[in-house]
Amino acid sequence: MKSISLYVDRQSFLHRIDPISKIYYIVAAILVPILYPSLTVAFAVMVISLILLFLGKVIRQTLSVYGFVFLVLITVLIIQTLFYPGNETPVYRIGQVVLYREGFFYALTISFRVINIVTSFLILVFTTRSADLVESLVRKGLSPRFGYVIASVFQIVPEMMSAMGRITDAQRSRGMETEGKLSVRMKAFLPLIGPVVLSSLLNVKERALALEVRGFNAKGKKTFLNEEKNFLAPTAVQWSLLAVILIAIIWRIIQ
Amino acid sequence: MELIRVEEVSFAYLPGKLVLDRVTLRFDHRSTAIIGQNGAGKTTLVKLMKGLLKPFDGEILIGDLSVKKVTAASLAKRIGLVFQNPNDQIFKGNVLEEVMFGLLNIGVEREEARVRAIRALEMVELEGKRDMNPHDLSLSQKKLVSIAAVVAMDPEIIIFDEPTIAQDHAGKERIKEIIRYLDEKGKMVMTIIHDMDFVAECFERTVVMNRGRVLLDGPTREVFSREEVLKEAYLELPTVAQLSKRLGLSETFLTPKEFIAHLEGRIKG
Repeated sequence: MKSISLYVDRQSFLHRIDPISKIYYIVAAILVPILYPSLTVAFAVMVISLILLFLGKVIRQTLSVYGFVFLVLITVLIIQTLFYPGNETPVYRIGQVVLYREGFFYALTISFRVINIVTSFLILVFTTRSADLVESLVRKGLSPRFGYVIASVFQIVPEMMSAMGRITDAQRSRGMETEGKLSVRMKAFLPLIGPVVLSSLLNVKERALALEVRGFNAKGKKTFLNEEKNFLAPTAVQWSLLAVILIAIIWRIIQ
Repeated sequence: MELIRVEEVSFAYLPGKLVLDRVTLRFDHRSTAIIGQNGAGKTTLVKLMKGLLKPFDGEILIGDLSVKKVTAASLAKRIGLVFQNPNDQIFKGNVLEEVMFGLLNIGVEREEARVRAIRALEMVELEGKRDMNPHDLSLSQKKLVSIAAVVAMDPEIIIFDEPTIAQDHAGKERIKEIIRYLDEKGKMVMTIIHDMDFVAECFERTVVMNRGRVLLDGPTREVFSREEVLKEAYLELPTVAQLSKRLGLSETFLTPKEFIAHLEGRIKG
């Protein structure tokens, strides 16, 4: 069964950083450029995130994600450079079309922020096993029930995809055309929804019963399956990131 | 007469990991069981014959039609497949419509489809349940509905994927009767199965697969007389054959009836 996890197994220091610290980093990478609204800061955070991806040996895997993000951002850049309400200073003219400085920098700010959000999340998902993430969150006090919901998404989605494959095969073998033109595929998709949703609902019911009979909702302290992993200086990393966030907040208040 | 030709077929789901390795088989009208441990390549072979997968090497011909050149849907008139899990092949809200689903897909007129669907439901003794929601039936009955749905389409070849799973004794007996009925009607019945007793009782020919290759192929009695080769494929003999071996009998028995008749003959004679 195919996995939906984007985790890339590599030997790098980033893989040895604990998931909670990576969540701190996401908060820092998003908040700092917003609290300190300077292009330089946003650019610096972006460069740091990209360096981290590089050091994590996962930069190549991010290219397809960036391909999509850049497509959106280029559209933003064109629209804002042409139509931003605060546009005053023309920098370039192509016939009747005028490109403005204010719109360009505004679009650049948005782009850096988006890239910062995407990159910081990529650091987490490409270098963290979903099971490690859920376990760390549960150890930090997240409800095991909620933890299970997160973990089961990684399991249920591939299962649903596999069920879709089986049901499509059953339809094809009973003469329903699902191959060829887009219109044929679209027509075949609708009858697929019913059985897939129904089989998922049946699975959910079975799964809930299976969890219940195995004491999932039992009261009291639960034992973790794995020993707590030793990550690279989690306290130091987390305090440092917290300090950066606090400095940005204080700076913002003073300003 | 050759109905299916599998010629040097190889297939892999992942590069470099062959699930089928140059398999060559010919199928005629004889009822045939394909056996082998999990991962032997049985289901993949059947999916290839049905056109649900395409071989990357070799050729499969249904009559003179290459499965590479047609879609699985267009093969539905000639070759039917009853899936292992009936829940995967229930698409409609009532039993009759469910059985009619395939018939309408292959262009049969509504009234004729209805008549054929009712006839198929009578065959599986579920005619009285035709207005029920298939999901309200037991798993065993759902399996019978899925058999009726394929039989109604009247294909020349019918493949059963694990027909005895989740069946009680009565259910197994019912499926045995259906297989015999189809065989008598001149259909080519094929199955992939782990139930050796069922194979021994219902199928004339048995193909043993192991690690993507054909290990043994021949009349069922002959195949079950090769215990040492079956062991290689991690397969057991049918219960009655095991019993006769333990008793030191040299013959290979396929059914309790044969075995009892032999013992009676020895006692009398």
